[in-house]
Amino acid sequence: MATSTYLSNPNVTVNAVSLQDQCQGLVFTRTIEALESTAFGTTSRSYTAGLENSTLQLDLYASFAASETYATLKALVGTTTTVSWSPSATSPGTATNPTQTLTGAYLEIIPYTLALGTLGVISVTFTGGVFSVLEV
Amino acid sequence: MPYKIISPRLGEPGTEYDAEGATANGINVAALVAGGFLEQSTNETPKPAKTNSKNTPKD
Repeated sequence: MATSTYLSNPNVTVNAVSLQDQCQGLVFTRTIEALESTAFGTTSRSYTAGLENSTLQLDLYASFAASETYATLKALVGTTTTVSWSPSATSPGTATNPTQTLTGAYLEIIPYTLALGTLGVISVTFTGGVFSVLEV
Repeated sequence: MPYKIISPRLGEPGTEYDAEGATANGINVAALVAGGFLEQSTNETPKPAKTNSKNTPKD
């Protein structure tokens, strides 16, 4: 079968705190910077791998209650931390449900907008760090 | 310095938190304390009651 049904229900931890029940969106972009290595005598450009600079964007509901979103993030601005996620909360860390981690990822800002009649969302982006995958 | 878990989002409340291991894994322990997820545990053991040997009955 060419496709399989997949219900996205990832598990997310920020600084070891589980925020699965506050997270409604996750975008991970693995980036390894391209360094041009084209030399004379070639007819096309070539590149080699530079530094890794991956990002993880999380869309979290703006809860200001104790032990919720804001309490987790407020002291992380301007610092580095560890964020990890897996496609499903059930049996993470396996080949079919790998746990992926950015260790030493930097949080620059906590932007949020509050509007009448809507649930506030805090979209944060963790940048950089060392990417690793656990899939035993 | 020992830490005790407060929030179930982090683990079992009341149990000790391995701050050294967490720090080695890139966890910001100070942010966990500031967010109210952890607290420093005093871990003091009660002193034993003093006994006065002068008042003990002799055999």
